[in-house]
Amino acid sequence: MSEAGASEGPGVASKIGAHLRVVLVLFHLGAIFLMAFPAPGGAMKRAAWKDPTVQQEFQAWTGRLNGWGIEVSQEELEDELWKVAVQYTEGRSKILKPFKPYYKYTGTTQSWRMFVAPHRFPAKLEIHVKIDGEWQPAYIARDPEHNWQGRALDHDRFRSAIFRFSWSSYAKTYRSFQTWVGTRAAVDFPQASHVRTRFQKYKTASPEQVKTDTRPAPKVILERVQPLAKYR
Amino acid sequence: MNAWSRLVALFSTQEHPRALALFRIALGLCGIYTIATVMLHGVVDDVWMDVAHGGYRSLKRGNFLVEWLGGTSPKMVWGMSIAALVTAFLVTIGAGGRFMVFAYLWTFSAATDFNSQASGSYDELLSSAVFLLLLTPATRTLSVDCRIRTGAWRDDTPVYAFPRWMAIFQIVLVYWATGMQKLSFYWVPGGEWSALYYIMQQPSWQRADMSWVATFYPLTQAATGLTWFWEIGAPFLLLAFVFRRKPQGRGLLRKIFNFIDFRTLYALIGVGLHLGIWAAMEVGPFSWVSLAYYICFFSPDEMARARRWLGKRWKSSPAHVTR
Repeated sequence: MSEAGASEGPGVASKIGAHLRVVLVLFHLGAIFLMAFPAPGGAMKRAAWKDPTVQQEFQAWTGRLNGWGIEVSQEELEDELWKVAVQYTEGRSKILKPFKPYYKYTGTTQSWRMFVAPHRFPAKLEIHVKIDGEWQPAYIARDPEHNWQGRALDHDRFRSAIFRFSWSSYAKTYRSFQTWVGTRAAVDFPQASHVRTRFQKYKTASPEQVKTDTRPAPKVILERVQPLAKYR
Repeated sequence: MNAWSRLVALFSTQEHPRALALFRIALGLCGIYTIATVMLHGVVDDVWMDVAHGGYRSLKRGNFLVEWLGGTSPKMVWGMSIAALVTAFLVTIGAGGRFMVFAYLWTFSAATDFNSQASGSYDELLSSAVFLLLLTPATRTLSVDCRIRTGAWRDDTPVYAFPRWMAIFQIVLVYWATGMQKLSFYWVPGGEWSALYYIMQQPSWQRADMSWVATFYPLTQAATGLTWFWEIGAPFLLLAFVFRRKPQGRGLLRKIFNFIDFRTLYALIGVGLHLGIWAAMEVGPFSWVSLAYYICFFSPDEMARARRWLGKRWKSSPAHVTR
């Protein structure tokens, strides 16, 4: 190798590096853009569309479309959206497939469906224990006076899990959670005979309902009573 | 010069390493906060462990790293959590260079991926940012590495600017993508603009009962509208950076953006929204991770100017004079 060639070496490598840098930056930006592009994601469960919160959205959009002169019933709108969403999701999966290893190993998964809609019919977790034949509250979500295991249950990671339990697709996990509750209640409440886990599902109150103290009545769902003897 | 050559020149731009160093420190602190709160609340066993070892659900599989290392077990869960905490700390103080950043990225991703039901977007937002630190020497200055290498805590040797710009693109993408998916009747113009009010009523995320917000309902409506437009309009922030780079260029939009300082205005609204989310809701480190990205909005030169200005103010302040 001549002296001139040797001195040009780093320059050539640097030039190639500069071009390669642009390629890699554009690849990264393209990859994250494709994955971040809006998609239904977890909403692709037809059963979940029957939830009152989702139904209310469909109702509102049907009304709006009708107002714009587009004649469509709520049922038709749901069916059409489902078809489009299925096709879109399938197409998106095919496009993203080659990029999957990149997201996985670089930690750049993009999922930004954050508070896309308020949950108008949320469910609030309650745990009661039966002592001397009477039910007593142990944990009621967001109630500082009944905060058994609150340090764990109120942590954002547990909240994320609890949020899912009231959806039908998480029934198995909710059952497993009830066992977790039973195991701990058996130790922390030695005098209790049973533990009850349930959700209060309700429509969140409008500002007017809060002001006039006429909040919608909650409905108990997913209640399960367990004898604590089996955990002792 | 053609478009490709301009891109090559642009991405070869170098700048002082202080902005990247501050970004690194912020991301390290966010990692410490994320992992430490899980440990301090005693939730590691509850949410990351399999049901056979005290967890609330069956968790047989971890992410690829956990699988490579032999699968989930109590030792693995605790080992990975501690490793994520330690590497986050070492990245914060700037020890171990790119290797430590890489170790932080993988251990953090593994730890926060033990249970997909107990995770949040903030985990991905943080790991996406940490990955960018791998692209340039993030421990060049304000680091233990710098101290060992040069004998000083500071080193002015420049680093590439493109990872900082990629961070800006990433946070813009986050805002835009989430805004585009806010199609609910409660969010969009023409609807009630009551989304924020009702979100604050959800027991899952509120810190405490928020029904008192009903008194300020019109304000929550204004905040809902502002949030929606602010998120949807995030790509304008990229335009603002382009306009700032060449302020002498032509065009009315460029003049308006630079005159109103769109970038600072956008950042101020963002800081307000994130602090509002943090005050009202328990969504983990989301606000802090998001705000860490804001460090990248400002160039190292602007940071130096701000530091000099603050130094002058401090020296001329009565508190300093009377010392």
